[in-house]
Amino acid sequence: MIKIENSAWDVMVSHAESTFPNECCGAMIGNIDGDQKRVTAAVPMENAYTGAQGARYELRPEDLLAADRKARAAGLDLIGIFHSHPDCDAYFSKTDLENSCPWYSFVVLSVKSGKFDHAASFLPNPEQTAAEKEELTWPKS
Amino acid sequence: MAKVLIPTPLRQFTQKHDSVELEGSNVSEVLTELISKFPDLRKQIFNDEGKLRSFVNVYLNDEDIRYLGKEATPVIPTDTLSIVPSIAGGAIDIAPAETGSIGVAEPSTTAPATTLSKEEILRYSRHLIMPEVGMEGQLKLKNAKVLMVGTGGLGAPLGLYLSAAGVGRIGVVDFDVVDFTNLQRQVIHGTKDVGRKKLDSAADKMLDINPNIQIDRYEVALDSSNAMEILAPYDLVIDGTDNFPTRYLVNDACVILKKPNVYGSIFRFEGQASVFAYPGGPCYRCLYPEPPPPGLVPSCAEGGVLGILPGTIGLIQATEAVKLILGIGETLVGRLLLYDALAMRFRELKLRRNPECPVCGDHPTVTKLIDYQQFCGMPHKEEPAVSVAQEGEIEPTEVKAKIDRGDDFLLIDVREPHEYQICNIPQAKLIPLGDLAKRMNELDSAKEIVAHCKSGVRSGKAVDFLRQAGFKKVRNMKGGILAWSDKVDPRVPKY
Repeated sequence: MIKIENSAWDVMVSHAESTFPNECCGAMIGNIDGDQKRVTAAVPMENAYTGAQGARYELRPEDLLAADRKARAAGLDLIGIFHSHPDCDAYFSKTDLENSCPWYSFVVLSVKSGKFDHAASFLPNPEQTAAEKEELTWPKS
Repeated sequence: MAKVLIPTPLRQFTQKHDSVELEGSNVSEVLTELISKFPDLRKQIFNDEGKLRSFVNVYLNDEDIRYLGKEATPVIPTDTLSIVPSIAGGAIDIAPAETGSIGVAEPSTTAPATTLSKEEILRYSRHLIMPEVGMEGQLKLKNAKVLMVGTGGLGAPLGLYLSAAGVGRIGVVDFDVVDFTNLQRQVIHGTKDVGRKKLDSAADKMLDINPNIQIDRYEVALDSSNAMEILAPYDLVIDGTDNFPTRYLVNDACVILKKPNVYGSIFRFEGQASVFAYPGGPCYRCLYPEPPPPGLVPSCAEGGVLGILPGTIGLIQATEAVKLILGIGETLVGRLLLYDALAMRFRELKLRRNPECPVCGDHPTVTKLIDYQQFCGMPHKEEPAVSVAQEGEIEPTEVKAKIDRGDDFLLIDVREPHEYQICNIPQAKLIPLGDLAKRMNELDSAKEIVAHCKSGVRSGKAVDFLRQAGFKKVRNMKGGILAWSDKVDPRVPKY
């Protein structure tokens, strides 16, 4: 399961709301203890998708590399990726699945009419053919 | 030994090591060493064919090895390799774009095509049988939206081949009409099209080649007021312009809108091409932060251009556009290709994104479009091109009257000798602009002087120059020998 701490959650929600009606994206940093993942910081990133961003996002690998370095320097780990679904439920779409990476937790935030609505976390399988829902807790959930 | 940083989720396969020191002289050797030490890592990083999985990027220090020497990139013991995944997604279920390719814009408005007709399958057969393109690639081309700025020398081959290749939607911007001087290189237009709008002539030809495509016509001069709106629906932009203000405008708009800009330019026997404004790559301003002073770099109309040259450069741009759409090969992102037709030689310069770049840098200062005429030091159209010369202009008809009356004055032709051979006014004395300074002693400052060139620009400079040198009675023949042909003697050929 994955638990998102207050400060990280605030960053994620405000990033998702401020980029509405476009999708947002970013990385989640924290630590892992067995099956328990704890997100203590979120790094908002620029959506690098070159077309319309209302329903697409792309992370720049350079940004991810920088976030990973930042995490290592702080003795933390890069443990997940978050993105938003504007005016759409927090599910893991085929596009999400096929362009994901099986190594991380993927948290999707549903933003409706510019306000955070609900969220879910997913773990893609190694072949990226399916994603399993992961138990997610955030401050007010 | 080089260091390889292991991403957190993969440490379960590396006995919890977060980094590993490995031997190897290049990336491939280091990765092979990594796999042999931790065999469980193999299927995380490599596919069944032994290639890096599609989402895996390898960085050597701060550089993606794709832009270095790929897996053959040399590694020295102080280097650090990082494994970084490519991650994308989106709420809508559409055909995903592969890393490095251009996705399908605006999925919500028009559903992307998912099949080809029987006729299209036959038409694109030579594409379809190549696995690098195949059905998937041809559909990417069909669903792609490309904007071509200009249908001139570069736009001509671009229009012909992009429509033939099956790029589904092509926007074309041009406000010019076809004239005879275009036909030496703008092969999309024919002799029968002289006098027609270039847009119509080009669109007819493109639709004749491929009726399956959509052509959006923009009969405007691209400027700061319309560029964002015109560029918005397209996945990528191909710059076929011939002037600096529009080139900077296209660049800045592409950076702001995050659309790759496939750049090409030509002059006389030489050309350049690159891909700008690609995420993480440099832009035109990283290469040329400032435009050259106006008048320093002559246009093709002034300096001439080998007719075949734009064919070569335009097709390099078309190739890059198609590769970007298909997401295959190694594009010109971060490389400036230089072509010299006389030496028949290609050279390449490495380009880096400039973190200080005012448009695409880390702290951009240009975040919306500016006045590009002003940025390039160009006078606005309503202002006189050469202020001093304007006061001292003379109509060709008046010059003719002076000759006929037998007035005592000197007519000088400041063009080049090879231009003089094309056509001339017999009474004119040939002194090329570049020789004017050293041949000034041939001129009598007390006498009235009229200067002319092809269209009035160079003779305007000559007039300015002579006035500064103390000549008082100097005038510029308005419109040059082209106007002379129109207004005085139609037997004089125009060029």
